[in-house]
Amino acid sequence: MGAVRAEFLKLKRSLSLVVVIALPVMAVVTGVANTLFSGQQPADGWHTLWLRVVVFYGLFPLTVGLAVLASLVWRVEHQGGNWNALMGRQVSSLRVVLAKTVVLTALALALQVVLVGGVTVAGKVAFDLPGFLPPRYLLVSLVIVVACVPVVALQSALSMVMRSFAAPVAVALPGAVAGVFLLMAGPSALSMALPYGLVGRATQLGTGAFADGGGVGAASVILLITAALGLTAVVVAGATAVLERVDVR
Amino acid sequence: MNSFGRAQHNESVSNAIITHDLGKTYGDRPIVRNLDLRVPEGCVYGFLGPNGSGKSTTMKMLLSLVRPTSGEVHIMGRRMQRSTRRSILGGIGSLIEAPPAYGHLTGHENMRLVQRLLGLDQGQVQRAVRTVRLQEHLDKRVRDYSLGMKQRLGIALALAREPRILILDEPTNGLDPAGIEEMRRLLRYLAEQGITVMVSSHLLGEIDRTAQVLGILGNGRLLFQGSREQLFSRSTPDVLIDTAEPERATTLAARWSAVREGHSVRVPGVDQAATARLVSHLVQGGVPVHGVRRQEQSLEDVFMDLTGGRGL
Ligand SMILES: Nc1ncnc2c1ncn2[C@@H]1O[C@H](COP(=O)(O)OP(=O)(O)OP(=O)(O)O)[C@@H](O)[C@H]1O
Ligand SMILES: [Mg+2]
Repeated sequence: MGAVRAEFLKLKRSLSLVVVIALPVMAVVTGVANTLFSGQQPADGWHTLWLRVVVFYGLFPLTVGLAVLASLVWRVEHQGGNWNALMGRQVSSLRVVLAKTVVLTALALALQVVLVGGVTVAGKVAFDLPGFLPPRYLLVSLVIVVACVPVVALQSALSMVMRSFAAPVAVALPGAVAGVFLLMAGPSALSMALPYGLVGRATQLGTGAFADGGGVGAASVILLITAALGLTAVVVAGATAVLERVDVR
Repeated sequence: MNSFGRAQHNESVSNAIITHDLGKTYGDRPIVRNLDLRVPEGCVYGFLGPNGSGKSTTMKMLLSLVRPTSGEVHIMGRRMQRSTRRSILGGIGSLIEAPPAYGHLTGHENMRLVQRLLGLDQGQVQRAVRTVRLQEHLDKRVRDYSLGMKQRLGIALALAREPRILILDEPTNGLDPAGIEEMRRLLRYLAEQGITVMVSSHLLGEIDRTAQVLGILGNGRLLFQGSREQLFSRSTPDVLIDTAEPERATTLAARWSAVREGHSVRVPGVDQAATARLVSHLVQGGVPVHGVRRQEQSLEDVFMDLTGGRGL
């Protein structure tokens, strides 16, 4: 799809690549530093390390990072005559919305790849853990990326409507907080219906944190993925309808 | 087919852009009113009006970037509205208010971007770049471009899809005289290629000799639409009378509001019949009339007349 390929071209020399590397690295460094300062080895090896890095990362930093990426990706469209050009071409509103969602999903995937790489390096170098990160965390990583999709779709829609860079990020923060409260209250349909709650839940998969049982069961994976895809479809449809209706300024 | 039907058919074939009673109101402020535009195919249409007269708003309505409050837009015989806009926009290149382009990318990357986006081939992109003569500057980032280069890149981006209609909002904005002259040549060249070019400006001198058809907007209303010649013929230029006795001639012609101007007398607003009466009155009064001529009128004067002195 041409619109998607064009979107990837816009990433060149973009700050988004800095975010994609810096954010997971910071999460890994923080998790490792906490463990090192406490003076203990991670009790349960890879599992403890994953839990220390990824659960906190999934509560706030990930959501805010995705929000910043969405704002970065849309910022250029709000500059100069770009919005008029975007709406003055034959490329349909659905394609415009989808292309942004796809490129943001790719960035979410890149975030997760850097995170997994960082955890692996930290486990080997800082703690000399045996073997490698167990494969189930790769499956969990995949679920996390899928759960990021409705968040990027929603943040993309907000950054599309709002010219401001900071305002959509400011929406993501209370969104993430609401997600945390919903998760603390235990499993509920509402926490799955809120994209921020969904992504938080995905990062806890297999950790035993909050409402998680500690295992990675087929049922919870399928539920998470179905909810993520359903939410994405709703958000993309909504964003397309809005883009189709609004007038340029 | 009856004659009415044929006339309608002809109208939609020869006019690339037609609007019927087009209007836009923001809040309770009418910005554009009762606009009936006729933009003939394959010409340069100069869309003139002072700042704030509604040129950009009108062009946005033509592209369905803004929905009209009233009236209709027809492009190449098709009704332009939200449900049809994306397919109609495939035949239109546009540049509204500010040149587009991504500042962090080079000119080349911007061209490649639109090439991918619209599925264009290399030849189309190269032709567009050569047409605006930008091939030397493609490796520079657009944020380091001069304004003139940005405008040219914007036009190249609009041209690459080989549109039949080009809608350019103040493409000469911020250009130096050489840049303006180059833009004029470019617009004429594009029209020779059969492209319908609608170009707006608040400076008459920038497009007067380039445009075959002029549309003049004042306060959101179309004050004039037609050729340069028609525009001139609409207003009556002053009559200048050369005489050895300008003082006496001015007194004699006082009821025509004559004013003395050196060795001649200027008489405004007299048509041909009135001119004949005026001259005969002077001659009967014994004034030696050496010559009677019409003042060369600049398009600026006409424009000022039409816009009530708010022009330029
Ligand atoms: N979105 C909007 N909301 C309210 N008023 C608007 C909006 N867009 C334009 N206007 C008003 O409409 C009027 C016409 O604006 P427009 O930009 O069409 O003029 P213009 O002829 O292009 O002027 P210029 O030569 O300065 O570009 C202005 O008074 C402007 O303030
Ligand atoms: Mg304007």
